[in-house]
Amino acid sequence: MEPEATGEPLSEADAHLADAEQAVTAAADLDELQKIRVEYLGAKGKITTLLKRLGRLPPQERPSAGRRINEVKATVEGLLERRRRELREAADRPSVPTDFSLPGRRLEPGRLHPLTLVTEDIVRSFRRLGFAVAAGPEIEDDYHCFDALNTPPDHPARDVQDTFYLREQDRRLLRTHTSSVQIRTMREQSPPVRIVVPGRVYRRDTADATHNPTFHQIEGLYVDRDVTIGDLKGTVSFVFREVLGKEVKLRFRPHYFSYTEPSMEIDFSSPVTRRMGREWLEIAGCGMVHPQVFENVGYDPEIWSGWAFGFGIERIAMIRYGIEDIRKFYENDLRFLRQF
Amino acid sequence: MKITYQWLKRYVDFDWSPGELADRLTMLGLEVEASERVGQSYDGVLVAEVLERAPHPNADRLLVCRINDGQGVRRIVCGADNFSAGDRVPLVLPGYALPTREGEKSRPIKAGKIRGEVSEGMLCSGQELGLSDDGEGLLLLDADATPGQNLGDYLGTDEADTLYDLEITPNRPDWNGVLGIAREVAALANLELRCPAVELQESGSPCAGRIRIRLEDPERCPRYSARLIERVAVGPSPAWLSNLLSKLGLRSINNVVDVTNFVMMEIGQPLHAFDCRSLARNEDGTATVVVRRAHEGETFTSLDGQEHRLNGSEIMIADEQKAVALGGVMGGLNSEITPETTEVLLESACFAPGNIRATSKRLNLRTDASYRFERGVDAQTVDWASRRAAALICETTGGQLRSGAVDAWPEPPEPRRVSLRFERTDRLLGIRIPPEEQLAFLERLGLSRRSKTETAGEFAIPSHRDDLKREADLIEEVARLYGVDRIPATPPRGGTGTHAYDRQHDVLAQARSLLTGMGLHEIQGQTLVSQAAVGVSKLTQKAALENALSADMDTLRPSLLPGLLSALSYNAHHNVGSAALFEAGTVFPVRDERIVEARRLALALTGDRFAPSWTNGANPGDYDVFDLKGRLEVLLESLRIQGLQWQNAGAADSLFQEEGRLTLGKQIVGRFGQLQSDLAAQLDLKKAVLLAELDWDLILARQAAPRPFKPLPVFPAVRRDVALLVDESVNHRDILKIVRQAKPNFLQNVEIFDVFRGRGIPQGKKSLAYALVYRHPERTLTDEEVSSAHFGIVERLEKKTGARIR
Repeated sequence: MEPEATGEPLSEADAHLADAEQAVTAAADLDELQKIRVEYLGAKGKITTLLKRLGRLPPQERPSAGRRINEVKATVEGLLERRRRELREAADRPSVPTDFSLPGRRLEPGRLHPLTLVTEDIVRSFRRLGFAVAAGPEIEDDYHCFDALNTPPDHPARDVQDTFYLREQDRRLLRTHTSSVQIRTMREQSPPVRIVVPGRVYRRDTADATHNPTFHQIEGLYVDRDVTIGDLKGTVSFVFREVLGKEVKLRFRPHYFSYTEPSMEIDFSSPVTRRMGREWLEIAGCGMVHPQVFENVGYDPEIWSGWAFGFGIERIAMIRYGIEDIRKFYENDLRFLRQF
Repeated sequence: MKITYQWLKRYVDFDWSPGELADRLTMLGLEVEASERVGQSYDGVLVAEVLERAPHPNADRLLVCRINDGQGVRRIVCGADNFSAGDRVPLVLPGYALPTREGEKSRPIKAGKIRGEVSEGMLCSGQELGLSDDGEGLLLLDADATPGQNLGDYLGTDEADTLYDLEITPNRPDWNGVLGIAREVAALANLELRCPAVELQESGSPCAGRIRIRLEDPERCPRYSARLIERVAVGPSPAWLSNLLSKLGLRSINNVVDVTNFVMMEIGQPLHAFDCRSLARNEDGTATVVVRRAHEGETFTSLDGQEHRLNGSEIMIADEQKAVALGGVMGGLNSEITPETTEVLLESACFAPGNIRATSKRLNLRTDASYRFERGVDAQTVDWASRRAAALICETTGGQLRSGAVDAWPEPPEPRRVSLRFERTDRLLGIRIPPEEQLAFLERLGLSRRSKTETAGEFAIPSHRDDLKREADLIEEVARLYGVDRIPATPPRGGTGTHAYDRQHDVLAQARSLLTGMGLHEIQGQTLVSQAAVGVSKLTQKAALENALSADMDTLRPSLLPGLLSALSYNAHHNVGSAALFEAGTVFPVRDERIVEARRLALALTGDRFAPSWTNGANPGDYDVFDLKGRLEVLLESLRIQGLQWQNAGAADSLFQEEGRLTLGKQIVGRFGQLQSDLAAQLDLKKAVLLAELDWDLILARQAAPRPFKPLPVFPAVRRDVALLVDESVNHRDILKIVRQAKPNFLQNVEIFDVFRGRGIPQGKKSLAYALVYRHPERTLTDEEVSSAHFGIVERLEKKTGARIR
């Protein structure tokens, strides 16, 4: 092979660089750019060919010529890459900008029923205090619903809670309160007891804006040594602050329930009650477990004392969400359910 | 129970304002349910006598009157025309104003000239005084009204007052009289109770000479007493009495009946007055009051004119021939006090609560008396009430009281004694109240100390506090008088609770969150539903309630599906045609002819599978049964229920077009499917309705333990597809079973990716396309290994199912 003149490949390389630069800048799309890459850097490309021709140079000139041609190659590669990125980005961009104000494609989650939300909030705060969730049957008998709770048949309190009875020989009933679970739990467990009982209860009230024959209650029961009214008030305050907000004020006033002694009703006051035009709103009943109830379940009232408190879930939900008709909870209108 | 501020103040002289009193009562346990201002002060309003009326010289419609105001004569110009000379009418003096309603400005009357004639005051109508709606003429007062008397004094409503409606808890029957409430206020404020003194003016002959009592049923009537008042003139009650009763919402009847009602409201003891002449006389001239049980089938006409048929359990007040009262509930028409009555037999008695309750409920006859007897009256009060009423009847009717009473009280109860250990109070209340203070509280409530040691006291309980039965009751009294609002709250303490249900609560919460995550909304259906609603779900359930409120709610739901269907239907009627709903709840199916409780979880889907959006056009496709099944699969797998079988149980008499059955071994976990279209049409549901109901008790019982972690694969997988042409009778499950039996140990996964019928597939056949994924846990598989395993499986499928490879 004929030895080549030294200057020749170098000047060719410079010429290719200038041509390539022009071509790359002019390339309109990625296909064109690919053709340019092949023209210069492909196996038979112009710059590749120059590199192949290096062997024809005098040996002492090969290193500097090789360096120069490789520099040109790298520069062309750089130009190609830069242009490729530009063209790629241009190709990514839609011809018309996307309207991001259009609504997204949503996977809408279902919602929990507001009564579940309130129940869960209350259960959660009780659980933070070490309470276990308990449940019991909704079809009950007189013993668990009344007698064991110190409410004998003639007791006027049975009149206060008008009861649905089942049409059957042993006349079971639909429980009128969750307190029957107190009896069932205490008969099964030895003290101490610390439970929270959410559940459905039934009263023979004609449905109207504030009554539904089916509704929900939740109650707490705590039995231990030396449990006091102070403990009751402490726990009630904790739970209601969690459920109704930190700014809530509570008032305890004496009342009567057959299964607690002393018994109290709890009123609360908050910006919400004031918006409703009331300073105090009745929210719950409570008291110290009646010693007769302890005797009925086989606990010694000399050793054990305890408190119970309970309230209606619907009432809390109505206050919290500003719902004025209890029947809304049972219509299951999706336009209502989707709001929670 | 209604009381007024002024009335209460007659018995205890507290110095609280009406608002303060309401707060104090509430904090004592006497919740004030409502309070309103009643009564009216009539400053400057007098009774005036019209002396003369003459036409006004300058006005056709006016009169000029001369009136006597008690002090002298005045001239008044007046626009009314309904009176004549001699009439008593109300007069407002100059400088005083007519009563105002709330928010009205008071405008004093001025003396001056009206159309040229002097007028020194104003004569008023009932409307102007706020006493009636009659604004046409002057209010005409009784002829015996004294000119110059303040109108308030005349009416008996001399002062503005506040009426309270109190909620009386059933444990405190003593609060059903104003005196009981006064006693409580006196104890709270440490004031003296001013119990009215009763002085009887008895005429000589003894009551027992005319009246005998035969008490046949002391269990139902522990005490019966009577007094006899003769020469009674029945007439209207004096103003103080009728006004007080009307403030309390009771109608004034006559001076005898009003007194019995007043004393009942005062002390809580119901009384009854009979016309004594209606009682049959014995040969010796006496009348016997028989307290007996009703005869079965006996009929009795009560005061209100209603006739009752009795069943023999009622307690009757009778003479030897006939009943005259339904004891403790209502008197009889045959012995009622009439204007002609001259002899009044005054009954004061005590009846057993349970029997009165049953009678009043059965006869649907609720009276103020039955209300009080149901709650229990104090047998000790019987005599005081009788004497108080007798004295007032004499005072208001001019009657004469025979001496003494007849009183049958076979077994006066022993006063109860209850002990209190002072330290127990502190232990229960969580504060320290010194024993002396506890003692003082109890004594103020009328408990008398019988014995006392350093640490405890024994107390005699007054008869009106039958609710104080044991130590805890005394502790409550101490707490009430101390003030429960003063007991400080202490932070929660102590150990943690346990209950078997606790874990189940979490599982349910997990299920709820899975279902809402998959887009289902939670609902709460009614437990009590109608027969029709149950019928729509093709279920039968007997109406279970003995005392249902209505046929709409007489049946305990045997399933959650009726509730879901009614929710879907409700929403469809409100133009929400697409819904994904679930409910978790208790149902009441019948097992072995007995209603039992079971927990269920049910799902319903209908309408658009995705919310319509601008990206998917108007019709994104409707839910079908595989949307439902997919949600069930995710739910149950997440809850770690393993070994489920999905079966088609056909359609015979089902709610579903085809009933899907989900089983675990021999147990049925649930049912699902698409609602029959005629049922959907009945509910106005236009799109396919997919329903499922799961046995939640079974799911809770069959949850598997959490699975251990599986190492991530290291070696590559190889996928081979196969499309099989099989008979329609071959199920996906059959294919899986055969593949599994072939068991090449490196077959990792089998997935169906197409089910095809139609072009190129003969009738009665279908094409099932599967992807089989092979992967060895320890090395890379060779092509030959995969091919040979795959070929083996395919061959087996061909042989066992008659499949042809496409």
